[in-house]
Amino acid sequence: MLWLALHLPALPLQIFTRGLADPSIPIGVIDASRRTRILAVNTAARTIGVFAGQALSAAQAIAPNLRVQARQTERETALLAEVACWAGRFTPRISLAPPDAVLLEISGSLRLFGSLGIIEQQAQDGLALLGIQARTACAPTPLAASWFARCGQASAAGTDWLATLDDLPLSILDHTEAPSASASLSSALELLDGLGARSIGAVRALPSAGLSHRRGQAVTLLIARARGEQADPRTWFEPPARFAHELALPEPTDHSEALLFAARRLFASLAAWLHARHAAIDHCRLLLIHESQSPTTLELVLGHPANDESHLALIARERLTTYALPGEVCALRLEAEHSLTHGQLTEDLFGAAGQDRNDAIRLLDRLRARLGKDAVRRLSTVSDHRPELAWQTLDASAPLPRAPLDKDKALSFPERRRPVWLLPEPQPINPQQFALLSDAERIESGWWDNSDIRRDYYLAQHKDHRLCWIFHQLDPPGGWYLQGYFA
Amino acid sequence: MAHVLERLPAGLVWQGSQLAPPPSTTLATGFATLDRALPGGGWPAGALIELLTERPGIGELALLLPLMQQMAAERWIAWIAPPLLPYAPALVSAGLPLQRLLLVQPASVAETLWAIRQATASGSCALVLAWPARLDTAALRRLQLAAEESATPLFLFRTFSTARQASPAPLRLGLSPTAQGLQIDILKRRGPPAAHPIHLVWQGDTLAEVAESPPRPQQDPHDTPRLARAG
Repeated sequence: MLWLALHLPALPLQIFTRGLADPSIPIGVIDASRRTRILAVNTAARTIGVFAGQALSAAQAIAPNLRVQARQTERETALLAEVACWAGRFTPRISLAPPDAVLLEISGSLRLFGSLGIIEQQAQDGLALLGIQARTACAPTPLAASWFARCGQASAAGTDWLATLDDLPLSILDHTEAPSASASLSSALELLDGLGARSIGAVRALPSAGLSHRRGQAVTLLIARARGEQADPRTWFEPPARFAHELALPEPTDHSEALLFAARRLFASLAAWLHARHAAIDHCRLLLIHESQSPTTLELVLGHPANDESHLALIARERLTTYALPGEVCALRLEAEHSLTHGQLTEDLFGAAGQDRNDAIRLLDRLRARLGKDAVRRLSTVSDHRPELAWQTLDASAPLPRAPLDKDKALSFPERRRPVWLLPEPQPINPQQFALLSDAERIESGWWDNSDIRRDYYLAQHKDHRLCWIFHQLDPPGGWYLQGYFA
Repeated sequence: MAHVLERLPAGLVWQGSQLAPPPSTTLATGFATLDRALPGGGWPAGALIELLTERPGIGELALLLPLMQQMAAERWIAWIAPPLLPYAPALVSAGLPLQRLLLVQPASVAETLWAIRQATASGSCALVLAWPARLDTAALRRLQLAAEESATPLFLFRTFSTARQASPAPLRLGLSPTAQGLQIDILKRRGPPAAHPIHLVWQGDTLAEVAESPPRPQQDPHDTPRLARAG
């Protein structure tokens, strides 16, 4: 067993700052119940002299433009779950360690990724895309890994990790998640502190029988678990079947670039969720949540199942830049369901085959996102002798019917010419202005659907030298019409 | 002077009577007489090409059909804001792969320009044909840059009245219909001004080159007996 702990030290702050495009805005977080002390601040606030632990009134005196947010523990829990979802790209064995850590069991993934260092690097890079700062550490037991991460110890997966563990300060135990034992734990820690035991090694040096006799079992049990001497079963995190995550904006905005920046965080998270499931989506929903109105929903429809965030971000950009928002947005929510299994495109030797196709699909998606679905079409032929019914437009992502094409070849009469430009409606003409260049082609068809036609078609040249396709209507009221140009 | 120039290594000094050194790649037009008149012997592969016509339907598509037939697979042939309907059966019988044809009908002038730029810059179009309503010089320059960067030929169909407007397009052709076919005036190319226009003639409904022997003056079809007014 090898555990990688992701400790998120700035979680209360980063639920707000991860969606903030402009890092120069100072932000402070205060406790929800005791609203007088600053709990955490971002770099911009620190540079102007606000620090964690300061009184709120003092901070506001120093920095009047400080954005103060009350801590939202439910959002922190949600973000922790989002990180756990995201971590599914490394291993399926994930365990939550609330309030601020996620534990990954990665012994099975080492060979796939190459080495522990690569996994740690990818985890750091990936979390940076989500807008989250993390400390990582590795150890053979989950408790030791999370302690190392919390203390900022480098990976200690070697043989001397037990020695490193002995050097950790005893106060680390205070953060350990065990709400049931917390009362006895804190009293035991108080006792040990009074005895002068400052590190884990010092506690281990004490006689264990006496320690357990003096209500120190909670401490010895934890240390035994961290050292792997006691079993430490963990419940595995189950990724939800449906992706729905929310991101709060520290200040409401209707600026599309700022919204896009925040949305990109969610797209990165969605991409990792899809990646872990070997899945792709062809549509998702971006909800822009307003303060006082009902949320605006942007449906992002892709022409082809995809699972990378840059593609989604492109589509979202087109939708956002053209959409007139009814008001300022205070939070974003991304929802996706019905993921499809994704046939991985295998690249050929020169890496080109899939690339051209992907580019073509991307262009299609961008055009459709901005211009609307009906503005981008494809053409297809229809097996019908009536010229105006012999073609149709298709949705651009629909595959063209294969079989009818061959049939159309037979119908298209190679010796009979068709114009490249067709007029939307046949136009009545004065035949005096045309010189006929061909014999008549009689087209008589359509008795079955009440749009019966009887026409003689000619290739003709207009006085202005254009080659035209004109017909003589044989049914009353008769007359000559222009239907297309040979261009 | 002339013999001094002759002794210089080829390509060292460009002389005004020569065509410019060919752009990186060119695409054959399918018409040998036209190829000879264009720098590099064909359409420039990554450039804005302006085709000026008075009205649609004079043979401007027939001029491009040989090019469209030879375009690479897996890439679009984008038609942006065409003035009339491209007729699918005719395109199929001309040998165009319909599944690669993308028909874009933007709702406004600004969206048309945006779509042209996206299609050109994406690099996923083998060819972009566009009928923009109006364009200023800055927009033309952006389009020319996009075409250059993505090595996508972009054909803009514009009216003759825009010939007076300065354009960054390296190639501008004026197309006008004649009794027999199409007259191509090279309004701008990288090289000396073209001495005389190029003529292509209709053979049935496809354009072909004029036979090498000077053709006999053909009878104007309008001299043939007119058809009687019907109905």
